[in-house]
Amino acid sequence: MSFFTSSSAAGGPIIDFAAAESSLEIAGLSLAYGEKPALRDLTLRIPRHRVTAFIGPSGCGKSTLLRALNRLHDLNEEVVRRGEIRLEGQDIHAPQVDVAELRRRVGMVFQAPNPFPMSIYDNVAFGLRLQGGMRKREMDDTVEWALHSAALWEEVKDRLRASAWTLSGGQQQRLVIARTLAVQPEVLLLDEPASALDPISTLKIEELIRNLKSRLSLVLVTHNMQQAARVSDYTAFLQQGELVEYGPTQTLFTNPRLRRTENYITGRMI
Amino acid sequence: MRTLWRRRGEGPWPWLAAGSVALSLLMLLALLLLLAIRGLGHFWPAEVALVALQDGQPFAGVAVREEQIPGEETRERLYFTGNRDLDGDRWRWVEVSAIADIRHPAELVVLQRSRWGEFHGRLVAVTGGGEHHTGEAAWPALQARLSELDVLRDERDRLRDDVVVPLVRRLDNAGNLADADFRAALAAANARIRELQSAMGDDILILESVDGRRIEQPLDLVLRAWRPNAMSPLDKLGAWAGGVWLFLSEGPRAANSAGGVWPAIFGTVLMVLLMSLVVTPFGVLAGIYLNEVAHQGPLTRLVRIGVRNLAGVPAIVYGVFGLGVFVYGIGGTLDEWFFSESLPSPTFGTGGLLWASLTLALLTLPVVIVATEEGLARVPDHQREGALALGATRMEMLTRVVLPMTLPAMLTGMILAVARAAGEVAPLMLVGVAKLAPQVPVDGDFPFLHLERKFMHLGYHIYDAAFHGDDVQAAMPLVFATALLLVLVILVLNLTAIFLRHHLRARHGAPSRW
Amino acid sequence: MKDPRPPLSLRLRRRRVRDRLATLLITAGGVGVVVSVLAIGVFLALEVVPLFLGADALSPRELWGPQPVEGYAEPQHRWRPEPLIEGDTTHFGMAPLVWGTLKAALWALLFAVPLALGAAIHSALYMPRRLRTRLKPTLELMEALPGVVIGFVAGILLAPWVERHLAGSLALLVALPLGMVAAGGLRALLPMPLRVRLSPGWAGLWLMPWLVLVGVATLWLAPAIEAALFGGDLRGWLADTLDLDYAARNAMVVGLAMGFAVIPGIYALAEDALAGVPGSLGEGAQALGATRWQTLWKVLLPAAAPGIFSAIMIGAGRAAGETMIVLMASGNTALMSINPLEGLRSLSATIAIELPEAAVGGTHYRLLFLAALVLFAFTFLVNTLAEGVRTRLRRRYRRLEGGT
Repeated sequence: MSFFTSSSAAGGPIIDFAAAESSLEIAGLSLAYGEKPALRDLTLRIPRHRVTAFIGPSGCGKSTLLRALNRLHDLNEEVVRRGEIRLEGQDIHAPQVDVAELRRRVGMVFQAPNPFPMSIYDNVAFGLRLQGGMRKREMDDTVEWALHSAALWEEVKDRLRASAWTLSGGQQQRLVIARTLAVQPEVLLLDEPASALDPISTLKIEELIRNLKSRLSLVLVTHNMQQAARVSDYTAFLQQGELVEYGPTQTLFTNPRLRRTENYITGRMI
Repeated sequence: MRTLWRRRGEGPWPWLAAGSVALSLLMLLALLLLLAIRGLGHFWPAEVALVALQDGQPFAGVAVREEQIPGEETRERLYFTGNRDLDGDRWRWVEVSAIADIRHPAELVVLQRSRWGEFHGRLVAVTGGGEHHTGEAAWPALQARLSELDVLRDERDRLRDDVVVPLVRRLDNAGNLADADFRAALAAANARIRELQSAMGDDILILESVDGRRIEQPLDLVLRAWRPNAMSPLDKLGAWAGGVWLFLSEGPRAANSAGGVWPAIFGTVLMVLLMSLVVTPFGVLAGIYLNEVAHQGPLTRLVRIGVRNLAGVPAIVYGVFGLGVFVYGIGGTLDEWFFSESLPSPTFGTGGLLWASLTLALLTLPVVIVATEEGLARVPDHQREGALALGATRMEMLTRVVLPMTLPAMLTGMILAVARAAGEVAPLMLVGVAKLAPQVPVDGDFPFLHLERKFMHLGYHIYDAAFHGDDVQAAMPLVFATALLLVLVILVLNLTAIFLRHHLRARHGAPSRW
Repeated sequence: MKDPRPPLSLRLRRRRVRDRLATLLITAGGVGVVVSVLAIGVFLALEVVPLFLGADALSPRELWGPQPVEGYAEPQHRWRPEPLIEGDTTHFGMAPLVWGTLKAALWALLFAVPLALGAAIHSALYMPRRLRTRLKPTLELMEALPGVVIGFVAGILLAPWVERHLAGSLALLVALPLGMVAAGGLRALLPMPLRVRLSPGWAGLWLMPWLVLVGVATLWLAPAIEAALFGGDLRGWLADTLDLDYAARNAMVVGLAMGFAVIPGIYALAEDALAGVPGSLGEGAQALGATRWQTLWKVLLPAAAPGIFSAIMIGAGRAAGETMIVLMASGNTALMSINPLEGLRSLSATIAIELPEAAVGGTHYRLLFLAALVLFAFTFLVNTLAEGVRTRLRRRYRRLEGGT
């Protein structure tokens, strides 16, 4: 992994990866909700098979950036966007791109667990059924595999037909991860996935994240810096829609280059 | 005095407010009780009084009500005396002061006849089939013979309605007088009917009114017989239940003043069914369009306001629209294209089942649209995002996640639409209802469902019987019963919708427990 | 094993096609439905236009102003669109019909608004929550009662009864409110344990038997009152002294029946408006020592006024369009008088009675369409206004609540 530092427009040193090593490339991305700007001229590359964390004070745009990566902003008519996002070299906003397929390849887990009002099995099989054409045995196998990958199989294997809403919060979140894994994404976006969970569930999710990076690239938004420090390989610090600093997690937390970063990390400002 | 007010309370106004609630509830209660008592009470076998007047003449009748003659001190009582063939009238007003004696002899008999209505009096003799019963034996003989007669009558009526009438109609239409099979079947049926008729026509009753006049009554014209003064409360309860059942299952007789309302029930249900078949898909479609597909700009907002306002437009306006566009417009055109041989007698160019259903579907469309939109709005955004994040297209998200969650709301909308349509009469007066529809719109003739026929309707039946009958007084109890039935049906529908809505709100509180 | 499914690109394309097709279908259906619903007004207008064009065009004065009528010295308002006998002249004066519609609506509101508002105030301010949640659906059921049943009871039972007991009926209008107030006063005189049992919150219920008592007493006393004040003949007195005719089916009876039908609608909207007033306003007033009623009068009602106003407007629209009740309880006489004890004829009832007989495309036919258009425009306008007022009210509440 070769990397070189360069300066961004904001004046702080930024990690840059080679295109071949990155899963997602963000180039000059600016985004506004109507008149209110949310992201300002962001440029960074997300490395493959690593965990990248976005941290920053509330309102800094980290969730907005995450949702831009799977074009969820398409649902909002007010959003104005400039700049490019590339998945494995392809512009995700190109006219011939199928949004549904993009969202399969770039999966997302939300802050509050949102399982469908269906059985556990049906939740996991949802994405598979969209693809169509799978025979029952194959679907059963895939569901089991997905639940294994999400570290949930042992707890639910005897009640796959039970409603997903009978699970605890932590289990529901792992179920959501399982159903996302079932469609075999390349990237997994996680928007504060454990903020609504108890500490034990949080640890389980964090362990899951660490195990998954061998197969996927993960992008994690979190307001919990300890979590970022525990789990991620690289961390990007955003403030007011700008990318302030981006580097290996160890370095960013122990020896940040910029004063602003240091202030945030040590808690001198919110 | 002012300090008294201020110390004691807040003045008179809160009591007026509380009284408003009380008064509104009282009015509602009074209406429902009125309908229940006069509607259900009609079927309770009333005792027949033998009234002897001061001037000697006795008569038998059922006391209906009493009134003060306006401007005078005396009171009058109205008796239902029946015996239209003997007296020329079924009712009698009597000054209470002129009554000398009232008794309720057990042997007084009430007969319900298919011609001339009810009879009040005494049973003298039963003759027929070589037998002759008088005195004590007459009543049991009558009852036995009546039940045998009922069986024969049922068969005759069934033959006539299900075999003869359709055959005749088919022969008329096809002009196939030469079709041997049809004619043979017709001849056989008619022969059997004649057989039955002669078997029934044998029996004669000798009846006597309480003032001594005798008549001969053919038994086959007698529908039911009972002795109200001799019935125990249990008997009366049975007769009451039987009366209610007949009301629901029979057709009207004697120009809507007797019999039942089955054709009106059937017509109302059929029309409402057709209407919901039309309004539910279109209303749901429009609701989905407005909430999920349309660009949420000022135009959509305007359209939404317009749709909600249309729920407030008077029903009669929809009737006018239905008449102009459906009946005369589309119906007239259909007649020209497909039914020109029948012209100038209109087939679809006049009111009928189809146009009535479509007009009411239009009327209740806003209800379904609003209910669907509310249901869709209640589906949380995170469920939609969850589906999209798994790679679903927008339609897939709608059909596999959102719509299943909206199903209860759509059902509520449909029920509310049905409840509203069941009670609307004004538009139907313009687009399809009939005072008396000889044929129900569904029968054994192809195409089985006749959309061009007029039909009977419970609400219209109330209006018609109460205002256009010749003997409104006699029809009154049945009108109350019909009104009660209509109100009960609508109340049940509304309660179901309210219950569903409550159940929905309780369920959609917090989807995930964490 | 080879994957039997079609290649991903094909599947994706199929799903995309399905998505687009379904969107198209929904759009077509939705637009079609919405357009046809909104086209009602357009269609009515189109049918009406020929009335005012061409050789036989009607002038607005013919429709609106009084016209000379045979046998009368002064021009009269007359509605006679078809000649009764050969050679009879036709008159197209719609003024009596509009007057009748408005009169019926006015009397309906006169009965309904005090009761509905009173009920809304009581339920929003005094009623315990348990009772209030039961009251609302009960009154909703009242709204579901079909007009034909209410009209039937009004025309067949109520009208003759009021005719026979005119003095008693009018006395009830006075006695019932007095009885409500008297209940409050009498309760204050009761010993404490009884007073507590009859709590104001439940007054909506326990006033019911009391009002029945008051009503029965009034009716029993009525003949005596009539004898004392009017020489035993109220109707005669009305005719002689006030020159008022009396018809059994009259505007007052119609108003009472329609009012009954309209109360639930006004109650629901008024209660929403009152309950939606941010609690901070009421609490602020009470903190300054105001009683509940003073708070209501000075703070809550003014704040909720637009909502209440819109509730009344919607009630007016409902009353103007009601057909069956007017048809059965108004006598259908096209009079233009102020006297509430005389009959009337409304636009909606006229349409119901006359349209089935009118010749298609004729003047009478189109006039009835004009009547329908007038009803449509009136209710549409009133409802849009009311909806606009409510939206502004909701915005105002939000500002009052969340404003910093």
